[in-house]
Amino acid sequence: MFSQLIQNLIDDTLKYSLGYFEAELWLCATIVALLLFRLISVDRLIPTSILALTGAIVATVVAWFQLTTTDGSETFFTGMLIHDQFSVYFRLFLSLFLALTIALTILTGIPDNEDSPDFYALLLGATVGMMIMATANNLLMLFIGVEMASVPSYAMVGFLKGRRASSEAALKYVVYGAGAAGVMLYGISLIAGMLGTGDMSLLADRLRIVADNGVAGLGDPEVRLVALGTMLVMVGLAFKLSLVPFHFWCPDAFEGASAEVGGFLSVASKAGAFGLLVRFLVAFSGDPSGAELMTAFGIGLGVVAMVTMTFGNLAAYGQSNIKRMLAYSTIAHAGYMLMAVSAMLVMQNSAHAGDLGQEINACLGGLLYYLAVYLFMNLGAFAVVALIRNYTFSEEIDSYAGLIRQSPALCVCMVFCMISLVGIPPFGGFFAKLMIFGSVYKAGDFHWSMYVLLAVGIVNTVISLFYYLRVLKTMIIYDRPADARAVRLPNLENVYVGLLGAFVLLLGCAPFIADGLNVIAGEAAGSIFSAIVTSR
Amino acid sequence: MVGETLIPTLLTIAWLLPLLGFAVEMLYGRKGERTTTKWPAWCAVACIGTGFLCSLIALLTWGQATGWAVLESHDLHGPDQHHSEDDPHHHGDSPKHQASTNESGWQMTALTATENSDDAEHVPFPSVYSGTLYTLGVFGSLVVSIDYYIDSLTLVMFTMVTLIATCIHLFAMGYMSDELTNEYVDHFAHTSDGKHVHRPGRFYRFFAYMSLFCFSMLGLVLAGNIFQVFVFWELVGICSYLLIGFYTERKSAGDAANKAFIMNRIGDFGFLIGLMVVWTWFGTFQFSELFDSLPRDATGHIVTNDLGEVAVSTHSGESRSIPYSLLVVAGLGVFAGCIGKSAQFPLQTWLPDAMEGPTPVSALVHSATMVAAGVYLVGRFYPMFVPEVLLTIAYIGAITLFLAATIAVVATDIKRVLAYSTISQLGYMMLGLGVFGWAAGLFHLITHAFFKSLMFLCSGSVIHGCHHEQEMPKMGGLMRKMPITAGTMLIGVIAISGLAVPGLIAFSGYHSKDAIVATALAFIQANPAHFLLFLLPLLTAGITAFYMFRLWFYTFFGEPRDQHIYDHAHESPWIMTAPLLVLAVFAAGCAIGGEKGMLYMMLLGSEPVHVANGVPAATVGELVLPGHSAIHDVHAKAGMWALLAAISGTLLAYVLYGTKTVNLSDMKRQLAGIHQFLSEKWYFDELYHALFMKPVHQVAALFAWIDRTMIDRVVHASAGLMVKISKWDRFFDETFVDGLVNLIARATFSSGILLKAVQTGRLRQYVMFIVVGVVALFAVLFTTFPN
Amino acid sequence: MATKRNAIGILMGVELVLNGANVNLVAFSHYTTLGIDGQIYSLFVIVLAAAEAAVALAIALNFYNNHLTIDVDRANRLKG
Repeated sequence: MFSQLIQNLIDDTLKYSLGYFEAELWLCATIVALLLFRLISVDRLIPTSILALTGAIVATVVAWFQLTTTDGSETFFTGMLIHDQFSVYFRLFLSLFLALTIALTILTGIPDNEDSPDFYALLLGATVGMMIMATANNLLMLFIGVEMASVPSYAMVGFLKGRRASSEAALKYVVYGAGAAGVMLYGISLIAGMLGTGDMSLLADRLRIVADNGVAGLGDPEVRLVALGTMLVMVGLAFKLSLVPFHFWCPDAFEGASAEVGGFLSVASKAGAFGLLVRFLVAFSGDPSGAELMTAFGIGLGVVAMVTMTFGNLAAYGQSNIKRMLAYSTIAHAGYMLMAVSAMLVMQNSAHAGDLGQEINACLGGLLYYLAVYLFMNLGAFAVVALIRNYTFSEEIDSYAGLIRQSPALCVCMVFCMISLVGIPPFGGFFAKLMIFGSVYKAGDFHWSMYVLLAVGIVNTVISLFYYLRVLKTMIIYDRPADARAVRLPNLENVYVGLLGAFVLLLGCAPFIADGLNVIAGEAAGSIFSAIVTSR
Repeated sequence: MVGETLIPTLLTIAWLLPLLGFAVEMLYGRKGERTTTKWPAWCAVACIGTGFLCSLIALLTWGQATGWAVLESHDLHGPDQHHSEDDPHHHGDSPKHQASTNESGWQMTALTATENSDDAEHVPFPSVYSGTLYTLGVFGSLVVSIDYYIDSLTLVMFTMVTLIATCIHLFAMGYMSDELTNEYVDHFAHTSDGKHVHRPGRFYRFFAYMSLFCFSMLGLVLAGNIFQVFVFWELVGICSYLLIGFYTERKSAGDAANKAFIMNRIGDFGFLIGLMVVWTWFGTFQFSELFDSLPRDATGHIVTNDLGEVAVSTHSGESRSIPYSLLVVAGLGVFAGCIGKSAQFPLQTWLPDAMEGPTPVSALVHSATMVAAGVYLVGRFYPMFVPEVLLTIAYIGAITLFLAATIAVVATDIKRVLAYSTISQLGYMMLGLGVFGWAAGLFHLITHAFFKSLMFLCSGSVIHGCHHEQEMPKMGGLMRKMPITAGTMLIGVIAISGLAVPGLIAFSGYHSKDAIVATALAFIQANPAHFLLFLLPLLTAGITAFYMFRLWFYTFFGEPRDQHIYDHAHESPWIMTAPLLVLAVFAAGCAIGGEKGMLYMMLLGSEPVHVANGVPAATVGELVLPGHSAIHDVHAKAGMWALLAAISGTLLAYVLYGTKTVNLSDMKRQLAGIHQFLSEKWYFDELYHALFMKPVHQVAALFAWIDRTMIDRVVHASAGLMVKISKWDRFFDETFVDGLVNLIARATFSSGILLKAVQTGRLRQYVMFIVVGVVALFAVLFTTFPN
Repeated sequence: MATKRNAIGILMGVELVLNGANVNLVAFSHYTTLGIDGQIYSLFVIVLAAAEAAVALAIALNFYNNHLTIDVDRANRLKG
């Protein structure tokens, strides 16, 4: 009987699950190849960066094919992971982003030859972790995914080994991260214990049972524990999302880490965490008994979103280091994106959820669209920072004075990214923000606090204008000091930033690209709510 | 039929080629060796020359297609049969049959025109090709399109314009050659410090403008609707403006260009009114549709009902009544445009000033083609003119021809003499058209184009040879220095004067002027009240001969008056004399055969159908419009009178300027009053100045005064008030609004700084915040969420 | 975890938190329908905690190399 069990497991894995796991497997294979090649000194023949880039591109292509073939949702690996458009969207998103980041590191040359296999192994490993976060269907996978994404990130932040700032940043990150992981794990243990299962697709059902088919209220100690556990899990995710008040690691880690790593963490780990947060909350939603509780969480997230974006935007004002400023900017943007999740929760757990399929989809679609645009605009900004650092050895905003005269392509890209980050048309950031604000506005029909959230979001957009424009003003209006180091980029680097800038622009004003992405994001968002076909 | 597609295609090519030339010359004329290359000229010549070939082939194709029927029919019968004026049945017969029954040739040509659709079915060839090249837009019932309307008149005009333009382009290549430099010194223009203007040569630009002009002119001739005519009408106006002002540095040139442009605008205003009437009441601009829609009875009268309205069937099939007066307005409006363009009284003053342009321009634009466009349009629009309008046209023409001729007698600038002569001759054409001599007027248009462009080119050759001296009193005896120019000029002079040995040899001008004078005579015989319409042209025939021979004698005959100029004079190079010879041949021979000749017969082929028989008076006192037969009756008599006048004018000129029997300065002193009056051009400029300019200036001064004293005061007062208000506003802004804004900004910024302080950088504190955060959130959750 | 100044001490605190959760999981596996899953969870957590601890120790070592101390209060350059 036991051998039969093993046989079934092997069959299931080989014939079925591994196919869904193809993109991740390619990345794993690349990691193995990276490490092996150094062992047998092949890395002197093939640059490891090229190998890593190839692996990332293959994963992108595989994910692209999955996007066209995936229909409905299925669990695999005995129900630990789930495969649907939503997973595939994140797979595609993350592997594309990985490829772009590797391309950036090739251009800037940040990991030296000696360390590059380690660095790329960490990078790829973290990406796999983030993919698992987005595909998790079990509380254990939730934890494993977060840890797999976090642990390599700690190492990457500290990768500039000889730099005091880097080691300090890594230490802060690892301690903070480990603490948050501990909190989250405690939450997981409470949920799993109280509801008696780790399978996320069963959580809503179990909650109803715990609440004795009534409305889940905090008066019931079991429900209270579940609520506590849910909150603790969300604290762990809030750490990954750098939501206030769990954002403290973020400015310090970003300032200490190299800009390439900063760019990677700001986009990729946030994307994975949002995927996970959405999955986790959706798992609890959709059942009348938990509706009131989840609406409360939704409003709570709305409050957190308000505080986060206000804090991020205000704190970015006085910064002189551009990486630190961008770190606060990512905090603020996490707040914007959290608005969509909040609106989604409020709508999904309202009395009319059945009629609101379209609107709920639009919330998630807006979030996914925002993430895609955010990929290009934030990576663009960090890429500019990294490229300039290679010439001026400085990351102070003041050292950017008058760069337009020396490197116009770089500055134009920066203008595109910054203006898109503010959310001014015709750039992609505007439409992404518009979609999210629109969803929040609709959610206002179900709870008044959403209007407050919307108002705060709009005010924050205005506030954010100033610190972004300060950078642009420095770059464009001021004169370049005579003693400043010259920044003259080779063509390839201009092409790279030009490409990112072009995408930021195109996502805003090229209807077919924007529409295409919108459709994909919409489908991916829709898939998460569709019925799950359990493992065969 | 071959012609149906071939002819329009050929003419379209001939029309568009100069536009291509213009584009090429304008875009690339500057490149390379900049202004010292001749290829733009060759490019222009190639374009217009090809255009000429196309036109010629089209003309021949047309003749072939029609079997030269117009020409044959004439040769077969005597000129004095005219008994079938009111016999419409014969209209349906074929030309051969007509000829065999010894029918009148005029009849035959009349029916070839297809304005009368009834006859068109029986006509063996279409005398009109019309169609649409491109539809620009449809606005309700109004279709704005580029059409073509090709009859024999179009073909003749095309051939004439392209031929003359080719000759003039060639001539200009020699004439303008001093522009072939990067450092052209304009001796007639001065900078503010009194030096001559130095500028790069504008050789390419000259030819680009010329090409543009050719395009516009050909488009005007080809146009198939009156609106298209208007568009190209304005285009030739622009070209004229550009070419008159070619030497922009000279103030006189700029003024002349402005004058020409503004004078033309006055006429065009009338043209626009005419267009509006036509569109509102006929609903179409198409010539063919317009001509069909106006009903005429068998005698050629426009049919009116009891209310004096004309029942018109529009092209869309509906019929409506048009007040007769509106037809007058439409006709007078369109004619107003023609007055401006053809420099007729009272808008004639711009043309002499237009001689500021280079001489080839004067030859092409301001004598042969553009100014004749007014006459052409009158001819083209002829079926729409009612007798009242025709009478106006006749009188305007008569006044103009006399007026201009008298001024020409005393003018001393060689080009101005020719300019006044042009005005006068255009007056002849208008008169001819006005007294119902449709073919006669257009006949004169063609012949005049040849001999006048010839004479202008000759004058250009003289000016070129004498180093830009234009005053005739400084010339004299140039025949010895420039024999070709003198000879060809003489041919032109004889042609315009109408000298001939009847029955033996006669140049073109004799025939065409005869035709006009004969029509005028027939007209006044039928309408004795309008005797001036014959007397003035007859008298002017003498004056014309006088001033033209005066010009020739002054310039080429006798002893040199200015030895310096004479010594440096030289015959022009072949590229300038060859066009002279070609044009001289045409000036002498284009009208061979007179009214039995090919040219006249070709034109007759397009004559509106009601012209041939004349229009008898319907009521007592109304105008009688003479038919061909009536004209033919008096032709010999009129020709004799005209010849007599011309010969006496010539003799007088010879006595005064050819021999030295009369002291000219004495005569001038004795006739000082008249001389002064004439040389001041009848004080027209002064009159206009007093009538229009001064009142406008005075009114403007009045308004300026009102502005300054009243309006300005109000404005200043309100401005002062605004300043006070805005001072308060500023105070408010700066203290309250700005203060608020700054306060908010400072608050945000300082809160940002404050928030920075939260980020202490202490790890232990961070970790503590996790704990505190979790506990705080939990507390919030439990306090806010109901059980 | 929040009070220790020594980096190693803090990491030990983190381990304690994780182990607390592990005890929870094992206990729940016994008393609720979670069953054997809870014990497997705790096994995974132990492994992950080990990996994390390894990385954390490496980072602490790196910090020591740069600062010649593992007093986390000395990590105060990045702030504001």
